Formats: sequence, structure tokens, C-alpha cells
Amino acid sequence: MILRRTLLLVLLLPSLAAAQNSPEDQARGLLEDGRTYRKDGKLKQALDNFQTIVSGFPNTSFVDDALLEIGRYYLEVDRDVAKARDAFEQVTKRFPQSDGAPGAYYYLGRLTMERAAAPADIDDALAQFARVQRLYPRSEWVPRALYASGLAHRKSGRLAEAAEASRRVALEHPSSDAAPAAQFELAQDLALSGEFRQAMEEFQQVRNRYPESEWAPLALDRITALYRLYGAGKPAFALDAAFSVGAGDTLKDVRGILMTPARTLWVASDKVKSAIPFAPDGKMGPGLAGEDLQSMTLAANGDLLVTAARAVRLGPKNLQTFAIPGGKPGETEPLEKLEAAAMTPSGSVLVADEKKKKVFRFDAKLQYQAPFPDAKERQVSRIVLDGEGGIVLLDRDERTVHVVDEAGKPLRTIATRGPGYELRKPVDVAVDGFRNIYVADEEAGVLVFSPTGALLTTLGTADVRKARAVTVDPAGAILVYDDKQQRILRFK
Amino acid sequence: MTAIVRRRLLLALVLALAVAAPAARAQESAAPAGALSEAVQKELGAVQDLLARASAEFEGPQQSRSIVQFDEIVTRLEVLHRQGTLPTRGREILSTAYELRARAYYNIGLQEKAADSFRALVQLNPQYSVSKEKVSPKVVDYFNSVKKALVGYLAVSSSPAGAKVSLNGEFLSLTDFFPLDVLAGEYTVEIAREGYRTETRTISIAPKATETLQVELTRTLASAFVITEPAGVEIWLDGQLRTTTSGTPGPELLEVVRGKGLDPARASGRTELGNLSLGSHNLELRKKCYETVKRQIEVPEARDYETEGIKLQDSLASLQLRSDPPGARIYLDGEAMGITPKDLDGVCSGKHRIEVKHTSGKFIQDIVVAKDESLTLDCPIRPSLAYLGLVAESAAGERVAPDVEEKLIENLQKVATLNFLPAPRETVDRVLESEKLTRKALLPGGNTEPDLVKKVTEKLAAALEVQGFLIALLPGEKLQRTAVLHLLAAGNTVPDTWDVSFGESASYMRFLSAVDRKATLYRPWTGLITVDSSMFEGVPVLRVVPGSPAAQAGVQPAEVLAAVDGKAVKQTSDLLAAVDAKKAKEKLALQFKGAGGAARALDVTLADTPQEIPLNDPSLLYNKVMMDLRQQVEGYPGTETAAFARLNLAICAMHFGDFAAAHEHLLKARSELPARPGLSQGTALYYLGLALERLGYKKEAVDAYRAAAGFKDATLFNNDGPSVAPLASRRGGN
Repeated sequence: MILRRTLLLVLLLPSLAAAQNSPEDQARGLLEDGRTYRKDGKLKQALDNFQTIVSGFPNTSFVDDALLEIGRYYLEVDRDVAKARDAFEQVTKRFPQSDGAPGAYYYLGRLTMERAAAPADIDDALAQFARVQRLYPRSEWVPRALYASGLAHRKSGRLAEAAEASRRVALEHPSSDAAPAAQFELAQDLALSGEFRQAMEEFQQVRNRYPESEWAPLALDRITALYRLYGAGKPAFALDAAFSVGAGDTLKDVRGILMTPARTLWVASDKVKSAIPFAPDGKMGPGLAGEDLQSMTLAANGDLLVTAARAVRLGPKNLQTFAIPGGKPGETEPLEKLEAAAMTPSGSVLVADEKKKKVFRFDAKLQYQAPFPDAKERQVSRIVLDGEGGIVLLDRDERTVHVVDEAGKPLRTIATRGPGYELRKPVDVAVDGFRNIYVADEEAGVLVFSPTGALLTTLGTADVRKARAVTVDPAGAILVYDDKQQRILRFK
Repeated sequence: MTAIVRRRLLLALVLALAVAAPAARAQESAAPAGALSEAVQKELGAVQDLLARASAEFEGPQQSRSIVQFDEIVTRLEVLHRQGTLPTRGREILSTAYELRARAYYNIGLQEKAADSFRALVQLNPQYSVSKEKVSPKVVDYFNSVKKALVGYLAVSSSPAGAKVSLNGEFLSLTDFFPLDVLAGEYTVEIAREGYRTETRTISIAPKATETLQVELTRTLASAFVITEPAGVEIWLDGQLRTTTSGTPGPELLEVVRGKGLDPARASGRTELGNLSLGSHNLELRKKCYETVKRQIEVPEARDYETEGIKLQDSLASLQLRSDPPGARIYLDGEAMGITPKDLDGVCSGKHRIEVKHTSGKFIQDIVVAKDESLTLDCPIRPSLAYLGLVAESAAGERVAPDVEEKLIENLQKVATLNFLPAPRETVDRVLESEKLTRKALLPGGNTEPDLVKKVTEKLAAALEVQGFLIALLPGEKLQRTAVLHLLAAGNTVPDTWDVSFGESASYMRFLSAVDRKATLYRPWTGLITVDSSMFEGVPVLRVVPGSPAAQAGVQPAEVLAAVDGKAVKQTSDLLAAVDAKKAKEKLALQFKGAGGAARALDVTLADTPQEIPLNDPSLLYNKVMMDLRQQVEGYPGTETAAFARLNLAICAMHFGDFAAAHEHLLKARSELPARPGLSQGTALYYLGLALERLGYKKEAVDAYRAAAGFKDATLFNNDGPSVAPLASRRGGN
């Protein structure tokens, strides 16, 4: 009887199995569910699904897609570059003809580009993107690769090539998901190249052709900023009498102000010993406490850096002190008169110490590297990133503004004096999206310089009696803290 | 066996036979009619053969031997005769058999037997006569003497003549006839003629006696005689077509015709409308291109009536046919009538089919025109799409294919901007077979050389007079709810594909919407470039295109546009929407806020800007777009419209990666396009550079780019688009 039952079961099993889904169907289901989990933010579950496909269904046609998704997870969530790279390389090596292969080359290019430290790295990234276009000309990854090529060229400072690549996406793939971003970047490339009118037109095309995209409101800010400076001949700024933010002690002894892309205005007041955020509607948010606050900047990844004399707050939870090697081996010397700090795109931290009269570079693990950009003594009171790889250093004593790249190579300089201006007592510096530099000078007001160092306009002392801190909003309006009036003024 | 037993056995046998014979006959007569006539046919065939043998025997030295054979023939055919199934041919054979048997008997001296045969012959066919030329006079006399004893004579005349005379239901002759031989006996004679009451008489005919009947027939139906002008008029009586007037009036009728007010040269002959029942009738006289005449006729008596001459009036209309594009061939009910634009006079009123055919498409419409109507018909030429059929990749697909195809055709007929035509299967098969191809071979994955696909589609297009094709595929790997439609323009090699769930109408609607989307080559234009800015209420003018409507109206850069046609403008899209809602030559009222707050009002008269088809737009069916564009090129040769259409054809070719075709189009477009600001020769040169680059001709590409860079005001996309010069300069290495 038992034998009969066993035999029956053995006979039934194949038909039962046939009645269930095939491995292909199961793998497809896991992939689709995994992608849904990812969309819903259930990232761990998504990863589990994708890994199950790779290990449990290795002979199905969905392994390449799963590996691609695993690579994306490691890249975007865990930020584990090595694991991400491994996953992408598995796709390109094992499944070169698959649908996932162009995506893998694209991501490999992105990995290389975002961590590029030398021109050769950018060229490597460009090669990966070119491979997508050459080997998979009809793939949906082609416009994405072209767009990424544009970003790579821009990172290298090759604005014409960057514009060309972005233009190709807009022209040849107007309906792709990369098109709105590419159109935006094209406009930005033109603006950075000094072709302001054409830039405005191209930003307008983002709004005309992709009005629902996330880029449309950003384009509006860019157009407004450009038009303010270049639209009608001379730049025109007028006091926004209706603007008012903060009150009382928060507006006393302000050491720095900073406007984020989300239009949150941070005010660092040494009177209340806090950096306080004000939302666009004027509501005050919870502040970050700090003794002897000096300045604020934004890191390339959007984190807020608040510099106090003895430490730098790197983001909301990370308070960091810095020390440099001492006179003797093994000895270190703390830096206790910090004035400014910035975090570069590669993750290095630059800190300016008033006492040492130098800027020091620390790597991403906050290990001391060397003086920056060189060992020369200088009194750098402000360090700001220009968003295009440039690091802006305000030398208080020399009354100059230097722009260098991450390697320390000089790019541009705003001299102490020039046609139509003289820097008398510069105290703060800000940069807009087009690398225009805004210098707050206690005795001269606010001076606006083009990337080439030409003076564009001045908000004189009639407007700003004692400029102490300056920042720029995404639409190009200038916000300045007037120490005499103890107010933050807005000029639009 | 005792005698009693023998008698009982014999009785049983006789009884059995008696039961069997009727049963057999019943079985025979119960046999289906078809089976009987087949059996009769077979029997007749056999008997005919037998007659031939018997006749040969009769002519031979041993004539008496033929008697047995004739006996058999007679026996067999008499069976059929008694059954009532003996056909005419059978009667002839039987008659011949009787005659020859009789003569055979006579020749061997058995005159009684001969007489029997002759008697049987006469009873079968009273009018039979033995040929004096072939038969000895003695035999003839003998036959006649036998016959005389059996037959009498009947003569019937009637007034009017031409009546059918039947004796006991069997047709004899038409009146009036001389005495005919009739077997002596009692008869019911029926004299019948259409339109007259049938007369019946009972007569008795004695041998050698002659009976004569003269019958006056009483008319029951009337006749009307009609003459029409023109001839060839259909006469409909009470809704039924009865006759058509024809011929011409004879000389005797000429005066009569003139008296009726008709033209003898055009009038018909006197046409009888017979068998009119008494009472009132509706008469309609119809002829194409003439007005129908309706009459009511009263027929109180059964006699002839002469109607008045009926003259039909012309019923003609005129058509004015215009087509877009012009120069199309006109066919009216299949007859070639010239080229559009054309005025056609003398078109018969009524229903017609108009076909207007152009190389780029056709227009088909059924119309109805009334007498004296002058109809102007605009005939927009639409490309034609031939449905080539359905390919099923699996056995399951084959099973559902007929139903799927019916649903496909039913739904695809609703397409509005194309003529959708199921292609004749034989024509398609013939063209495909000539290149040894199947329908599937035209689809992607068919591994057919692109040049061959191009050649075959061009051949098919010429054979079917269409501009594109649709093939449906039932894929093997999907559940059988989906068909993949492949739309391919003639001369192209890569189709557009679209999945439809063949059971869902909504699925077809989406496809039809995509097909019916027409490529827009022009849109209204101001030349005003504004940008959005949060600095202003309104949008600042960034630049004004030189020579544009805005420039001509005097709009200046840096002015702030506050309102259009009285509506506030908050962003550039408001201005663009206001422009799109208008047409070229219409006005747009603009209100500006100057730098100081001063207001300024200007009217701008819109122009048209040509525009490019996007190079890659997933929502476009590029093959359909190509069909529309070819219509522009072929319909308006030498015009700017055709030139811009050709530029867009090049873009469509580039979409498919066919840079060679794009190159061809661009070479022509380059010289046909204008050399003015906006989309122009410079635009074509830029794309020519792109195509040459993709084809691997680097030097020629650089030359093209450099030439494009020389056109400082040329743009891409439309007249407001980005400038070609800097882009071309970069690519040309400047």
C-alpha cells in the first residue's frame, strides 16, 4: 500500500511541477516584485529578491537584470563601490549581449566618473559611455550614457563637448527619461560658457518641453538668476522691502548666513551660539548649537558644514575636531582657531586655521594630508565650493579671492582692485550656480564678480551699511547681513 | 409429396409472388426520384445499345433474329411506359422498336404479329408515319391500314389563335391546326391561352372520322401598348419589372408617334405590356439619367389599350471636383473622367461612386445627386493602407486566426485619416511568390534583406495602388489574446509595431488614435522668444526673431509681456497656448509693460513656422508619418511645403537608421529649401553632415557642417529653435 502511494506520488510530482510556474516565470516574478519593493522603499526585500534570482535561478534570462539591480543597490544605498562594481562587471563579462549589459557599462562609467581624481579617470568613464552607444545603439541606455558623457566632459571643464553631448540627447532622444536633465545641463553648460542668452532660451525649453519634470522649477530659478544679471543689459538689484527673517538675538553677532537649494536660510549667530534654520515661510527650525561660530558652507553632497573655532559640524550629527602633526613624530597639534571649512566632491575636508594661517586638507577618513593648496601662509577666512569643481578661498589679509581646483591648481583670481572696485575689508564670499562670486565687504558693500573676475554690479554702502555675511538664493537674489542694521537684507 | 401438398405449395408460391411483385413495385416506386431517373437513364442507355444491335441484325441476312431483341426492348420500355417514367427519347426508341419488329414480322409472313406491333406503335404515337422512301410500299400500306382502323382526326381553331390544345391533359398542338391523327376514343379537350379563359370540350373521335372544333376564347386580361421617348425604358408595374421598351417605330407608326408628341428618331417601338389584370395599376417608367415617370392606369375591361406617348425628361446633375493635392485622376463609377480640378456636366442623377486617385493616395466616396443639382466635392487625398493578412506562429494561433482577422478588419475600418483596404489575397500572393517570399518574411526577424523588403513593398504598392501595409501577427509565445500589428510604409524596411488585445475595443482605439495622428508640418508663429522669471508679473522678451511677425509689429527685447488677447500671461506656456489656438494670418493682441511701468499694446499677425518631426518619439508611428509626408512631397512638387516634408522624411529615415535614404532626401531638400532665417538650407546641410558622418564619410560630413555653419540664421526644430551655425561649426572643426 505504502509502495503504491509512493509510486502514485512519484507519478504525480512531474505533473504537479508542470502545473506550477517554470523557472523563467518564477524569476520574472521575483524581478518584478523586487522592482516594486525598490519603488516602495523596501530596499532590503528588493535586494533579497534580486539575490535569489542570481543564486536560485542562475539559468534564467533574468540574471543580468538582477545583477544590475544588485549593483544599483550597492551603489545608491550601501554606497559600497567595490560590491557595486563587481555586480556590474559580472553583467558585462557573463552577459555581454543581454539587455542589462548597456546598463552595466553605464553604471561602471558613472562609478568611475563620480570618483575621478585625475583626467584619465574621466576618459575611462567616457569610454564606458561610448561603449553603450557603439555596441547597443538601439538600447534605452544610449540617451542616459550620452547625458552622463556630458556630465563627464563638464567635470573635465570641457564645456563645449558637454553641451554637444547634452544637445544630442535633446535632439536625438527627446522622449527619453534623460532628456529633461540633459536639456537642463545643456543650458547650464551654455551659461558656464558665457552664452547667457542662449542658456536662458535652453532653460526655457526645459519648462516648455518638460513642464512636469523636476527640472522645470529649477530652470525657472536659473532663468531668473541669469536674467537678473544679463537679461536687460545692466544687472539690476532692488531692495525687497517686504523681506524679513529672524528677530531679536538671532540677528545679533551673525557670523554667517547660508541659503540652501531648498531655500532654507541658515543664520549662524554667536549671540545665541547656534546656527538656526529659517524655512521659506519664515518659520524657525531647531538650531545647531556651537561656541564661537565662524562660518557655514554646503558640502558637494548637500550636507551643511558649520565651522566653530575648535570644531566643525559635518552634517547634523558629526562634530569633528582637527589636528595636524606636531613638531615631534607622533605628536599632533589641535587646530583651535578654525575660521572656515569645506568638503570637496571627493570627500576631502579643507579647514582654514587663523592661527596657523593655512588651509589644511584632510582625506575622506579625516586623516591629515597636507596644507592646501600649498604651504604658503595665508589668512583664509572663507572657503566655498563653486559647484563646478572650483574651491573659492577668501584671503582676508591680501583682500583677494582665489579659485583653485581640488588639486590646488589656480583657476581664477579676483584681485584686490580692478576696474570699478576695490576690496577694502572683504569678510564673506558666496557663489551662485554660474560661478559668479559675491563678496561681502564691510566697507564697500556687496560686490558681484563674473567668473572671469569682471565686476558685474555693486550693492554699495548706501544699500548695505556694513556687510558682514552674504549668500545667494537659487533664483539669484542676494541676501546680506548688515551688521549696522542688524538685519538680513534681500536684494532681488 | 401429395397433390394437396403440391397445390398448397403452389398456392403459397403464387401468393408469395403476388405479395412480392407489388412490394417490388412499391419498393421501386418508393425509390427516390433521383435514383429512378438514374436507373431510367441507365436502362435507356442499355436499351439504346440493344436497339443498335437489333437494328444491325434487322439489316442483316437473318432479319428474323432481330425480333427477339426487339421483343426485349419493347418489354423493357413498356415497363417504364406503364410507370409513367418513359422519357421522350425512350418513346422514340420504343416506336422504332415497334416499327422494325412489325416489319420483321411482316417480312417473315407473320402479318398478324406485324399488325399487333403496328397497333401498339399507333397507340403509343398516333401521329407516327412509316417512311415511304425507306420502307416498301406494301409495308407502308399495311401500316396505314392498321392505323386507319385506330385513328381519327381532330382539327381545332380558336379566336384568337395561338392557344394550347391538350387532350386528356396531354399537349397536342397550338391553334389553329389542321386535322391531326388522334387515337379513336373519348377526350376532354382543353384550349388555353394566356389572358383568356380556358375552354374545355368533350369529344368522341371514331376511327377515320374527323372532328373539328372552333372555339371563341373569352379575354380575361388586358394589354397596354406603350411608346416611349427615348427607347430602352424599363416598365415597372406594381413594383415589378415587366418589360423594357425597345426598337424603333415602324413606318406605319410614324404619324402616330408624332401625334403623341414624340420624336420618331428617339422613340421606341410599340411595346406590349400584356396580361394586365382588371383594375388599377401603378406604372413606373425608369431609365438611367432620366426622371422616373409614374402613372396610374385603369383597366376596366379585358382588351387592348393604347397609352399616350411617354416622354422622359433628362435627369442630370453636375459635379465640381477638387482634390488636395490637385492633379488626381477621377473615376466616376469606374470610368475615367479626367484630372482634378474638374467640372463634370451631364452626370446622371442618382447614386455614384467617386474615386479620385493620386500617386500619394486616393479619395473614395459614394454620392447621390438629384436632378439639376450642382455638387461641389472636396476630395482630400488620403494615403491607402492595405491589410495583407494575418500570420499565426502557432497551431493555437491558426485555430483562432479567422475570428481574430474578422475582429481586426472590423475595428481597423474605423481609421479616419487613411483608406483601409483588405488586399485581394491572390494579388498579394502573386507578388510575394514572384520573389519567393511569404508575409512573415516582410516582418522583423524574417531575415529578409532590407533591399528585398523595399523592392517587394514597392511592387505591392504599385499592384494594390496603396502607400502602406498592415500585417498582423499572432505571436507563438504569448497567450492568444494579443496580436501584434506591423505597419510598414511602401519602400520602407522597418515597420512600426503595436500590440492589440484583439478582444478589447479600447485597445484598437489607442492604435487608431496613433494612426490618425497627422504629422503637423506647420504651426502658428510669432517669432517672440520669452522666458519665465520670478522677477516679473508676466514674461520678459528675450529676443525677437528678425523678420518675424513680432519683429514686424515692433516688439522689443526686454519688454515684459503682461497679457495676450486680454488674458494675463504668467508664464511662457500661456503665450504658446494662445498662439497654438490660432491660425496663420490671425491676429494676437499683446500687452506689454515697459521699463517704467508704461503699458504698450501691439497686434501681431501670425505667420506659420515649419517644424521638424522629433527624431525619436515613442508615441509616433513613423511609417504613418512617412505616408503623410510623401503625400506632401508628391502632391505639391516644387513647393516649400514639399521641401519641408522632404526634410522631415529625412528625419524619419534617420529614426529608422536608414542614413542612406536620409542622405538622398537631404540632397534634394538642400536645394529646395529656402535660404532665410529659420528652418532652411542650413538645417538640411546640418542633417546632411550627420547622415554622412553615420555613413562613414567623415570628410564629406565636415564639408557639409562647414557649409551649414555659413547659414548664420538657420535653426533646428522650428524657426525659433537653436541656431545651426555654432553646432555646425563645432562639428565641422571650427
